[in-house]
Amino acid sequence: MTLYADSQYKVREDLDAVHAEQLDQLADPGTWGTGAQRLAIAREVRQACYDARIQEEPEDTGPPSDVELPESVCATVRKLAVAPKDFLEDSYEEARSGGLSDEEYVEVLGIVSRLTDMDVFARGIGVPLRPLPAAREGRPSRRRPRVAKKELAWVPTVPNLPEGGEEAAEIYGEDYRPYILRSLSLVPDEMRRHIELEEVQYLPMKSILVADYRHHEGFTRAQVELIAGRVSALNECFY
Amino acid sequence: MPGGREILAFADAVIGPDRAALDKARHDLADALGPAAVPAAAAIAATFTKNDRIANGSGIPSELRMLRNSKEIRRELGINDFRTSVNTLRHYPEER
Repeated sequence: MTLYADSQYKVREDLDAVHAEQLDQLADPGTWGTGAQRLAIAREVRQACYDARIQEEPEDTGPPSDVELPESVCATVRKLAVAPKDFLEDSYEEARSGGLSDEEYVEVLGIVSRLTDMDVFARGIGVPLRPLPAAREGRPSRRRPRVAKKELAWVPTVPNLPEGGEEAAEIYGEDYRPYILRSLSLVPDEMRRHIELEEVQYLPMKSILVADYRHHEGFTRAQVELIAGRVSALNECFY
Repeated sequence: MPGGREILAFADAVIGPDRAALDKARHDLADALGPAAVPAAAAIAATFTKNDRIANGSGIPSELRMLRNSKEIRRELGINDFRTSVNTLRHYPEER
C-alpha cells in the first residue's frame, strides 16, 4: 500500500516513498525534540493552516497528542506555517527570547517547512491530508556540528569546504553549497531531509544548471520555474 | 508557454484558501497538459512552499553571483520591495 494510493493522479514511486518515510519519521525523537514534541509541532502547523483556510481538516488526523507547546513556540510555528512573507528577523528574535535555542529553532523550522511541503502536495493532487503517526519513545540525539558558526544567516551554519572540514564534507559532500542548501546545517538530519525532498520533488542537485533537464514527465524546465517563481513571489521570498 | 495560464492558476490556488478554485485549476491543468502535470505541478509548488519558509525563516542572503545576474529583473518585478530582501541587501547594499 502506497501513501498516495487513493490519488486519482499517478504519483511517482520515489516521491511516494520519501513522503511516507518523512511523515512517519516525525514520530521519532529528532536531534533536539522528542517524537511527541515534534508531532505537537506538526499538529500546530496543521491547526494554523485549518484556521487560515489554506488546508482542509481530514476526518482522520491521527492519534491525539498530550504535549502542550509553550505559547512562544506556537506563535513561531503558526507564523512560519501561514505567513512566511511576514517572518522577519524580529520573529526569529521573539522565538529565541521565548526560550528556543538556535538548534531547537532550526529543528522547528525544518519540521514546519517539510510538513507544509508534503501537505501542499496532498492538497495539490486532491487527496486528504495524511494522518500523523503516533509518537515513538526515545531521546533526542542532541548532536551539534562543532564547526557551525554565525555566517551571514540569522542562524549558525556549517561553512562550505574547505573551512567546514570533515563535518561539511559529511553533510554536503565535496561540492560548494549555496545558502539554501546549508540553511538547516546546524541540525544535519533536517538538512538531509530538506535536500531529500528537493531532489525527489524539484530535481537532482547535480542537474540544477542543466537548463533542459526534465525531472517530471511532460514538464519542461521553464514550466517548472514558472510555478517555482509564482509560489515564491506569493510568499515574498527574496532568496 | 504551453499551459502557462493553467500553471499560474494552479500555483495561485494550491497555496490559497479557495478550495473550489483549486479543484477547477487542477482539472484545467490536467486538461491542458495531461494528468501527469498535476503531481508534477504539486511537487514543484510543494518544494517552494518549503524553500520559501526555510529561506525566510533562517535569514539567509542570496549568493552574490545570483544578485549580480538578477539586478534588472528584480527592479522590473519589484522583488527588491519584498520585506525579506533585507536579509540579503543589508549585506550587499550596492547590489540593490
